[in-house]
Amino acid sequence: MIVRLAAAAAAALVLAGPAAACAKPRTSLAYLEGQIMCPTCHTTLDQSDAPAAQRIKAHIQRRIAQCWTAARIEAELSSPAMFGPSILAAPTHKGFDLLAWWLPLAGLAAGALLVGLGVWRWTRARPQEEAAAPPLDDDAERRLDELLARLD
Amino acid sequence: MRTFKLTGQIVALAAVAGLLALLVWRLTHQSHPPRIGAPAPAFSATRMDGNGSVSLASLRGKPVVLNFWASWCVPCKGEAKLLEQASRQYRKQGVVFLGVDYHDVTSDARTFLERHGVTYPTVRDGSGRIGDRYGLTGVPETYFVNRQGRLVGEHILGPITNPKWLAVFRDSIRAALDS
Repeated sequence: MIVRLAAAAAAALVLAGPAAACAKPRTSLAYLEGQIMCPTCHTTLDQSDAPAAQRIKAHIQRRIAQCWTAARIEAELSSPAMFGPSILAAPTHKGFDLLAWWLPLAGLAAGALLVGLGVWRWTRARPQEEAAAPPLDDDAERRLDELLARLD
Repeated sequence: MRTFKLTGQIVALAAVAGLLALLVWRLTHQSHPPRIGAPAPAFSATRMDGNGSVSLASLRGKPVVLNFWASWCVPCKGEAKLLEQASRQYRKQGVVFLGVDYHDVTSDARTFLERHGVTYPTVRDGSGRIGDRYGLTGVPETYFVNRQGRLVGEHILGPITNPKWLAVFRDSIRAALDS
């Protein structure tokens, strides 16, 4: 009886082992699949069933089971010892990679500024152009009066 | 108004020129397999066994069989045993077999090497940098480098277990030894 109980307890421990390793996972495969690229097919993992992608997904699952955070898993996969930074779907938020985030915003801002400036110049130029119209000389004024008189 | 228009035109032209430059750069930097007879593209990479790194230049003077593989590649499993046997067979003649683990999870690659009893050195190419230099289209692929560091024989695109490639494999090792 004692032997049976001990065996049951041991079996329960073995079965509970992996689950107990991480009771509350800190990230999910579904999230990371959209953040990590498949190195051979150049799509994110969620869009790939390539063998390389399957292996990386299995690796991520193991890390999740070990309670690793998304940032830690991404750091491991993008380290030079593994796949390098090109494995990440989005560039990091530091160093040279920051350009990838800020350049489009800077481009949008510059575009908006140019458009705004253009509109401002255009709206200001119109009244000046109208005001700056040369006055009619006497001859032209006389002919205009004649034309208007004929119309009457 | 005129200055503003001119500035706009210059900016637009600069943007178009930049995009054109990017297109030209992309077209001229596409990876192609190196030509047989040309110097083998140089590289240095970390060994899988953790014993430092290996550079192709350090193997100058020895014929080298360069095999690209990955643990997720099914045909690579088939040829692993044959490659190991060949490495033992040609070791006495000074031929160096060098495995390049391409786009792979390190722990999976180590398991693969243990499971298939691979004893010759293997380096990591997780980012695919070396594979790109060799214009890899997939794995496995095998190149042969002679004592002068030039590519010889034939570039094998597929597993050497394929009857089509087996004779080519032997002939290419011979070519690396003799030239």
